[in-house]
Amino acid sequence: MKYILMMNTMKAGQGIPNWAGKDLQAHIAFMMNLNKDLRDSGELVSAEGLSFPDQAKLVRAGKNGVPITDGVFPESKEFLAGFWIVDVDTPERAYAIAAQASAAPGPGGAPLNMPIEVRPVMSAPPPEMM
Amino acid sequence: MKYILLMSGTKVGVDGYHAWSPKDIQAHMAVLHSINDRLAASGEFVATQGLAEPTEAKVVRGEKNGIPVTDGVFPEAKEFLLGYWIVDVATPERAYVIAGQISAAPGPGGIPTNMPIEVRRFATFEQSGSK
Repeated sequence: MKYILMMNTMKAGQGIPNWAGKDLQAHIAFMMNLNKDLRDSGELVSAEGLSFPDQAKLVRAGKNGVPITDGVFPESKEFLAGFWIVDVDTPERAYAIAAQASAAPGPGGAPLNMPIEVRPVMSAPPPEMM
Repeated sequence: MKYILLMSGTKVGVDGYHAWSPKDIQAHMAVLHSINDRLAASGEFVATQGLAEPTEAKVVRGEKNGIPVTDGVFPEAKEFLLGYWIVDVATPERAYVIAGQISAAPGPGGIPTNMPIEVRRFATFEQSGSK
């Protein structure tokens, strides 16, 4: 079963750009290590980090098909910061991996305990939708 | 440059989708498939994925002992990711054009949904873990 593990953040976020270099290095090393473990166990499908929310654009189709872009978001909006897709035997295993990611170190090495949203990935749309 | 195009919606919006007629859903899916085919043909396609219903979503935190704590209660206004496309394009403008095409996919009665698509560039400071 494939699950997506989503790390979300507000625009203010965890203030990651302001972290000390050492703290940022420890955080990234932790994430790389987690990815390596998941790759070794054969459970990693993909892992990606997204650029910061200040670069996000919202796009809608205009009447003539020309994209209309906007970069204004409500303050309370959660932005996707990064995600993992894992292929695991049980939802509990996906939750265990999410808890590991949640415990990634922040400033001073203290675990962030950030919330990770876990959702099954659809295998394929039902036949009637095709 | 890799971009992700995020399609999000609230729980209420997802319930609305379930009320669409099969014909409207088929027409919607046909347009999305056609967009995928064209992206594959142009070599810009990296990945696309639809997510299961928000009702199956859990939020997980690590406890002090590393045991996962799961919760499934979300604020009404929360936007859930419904699906995404990852594209590899030459310019951000090209990513916006593709997002515009997705936004114009038809809804009930064939009218374009004009749903907002969030476009984000992948971070480059961290090596991609994708296979």
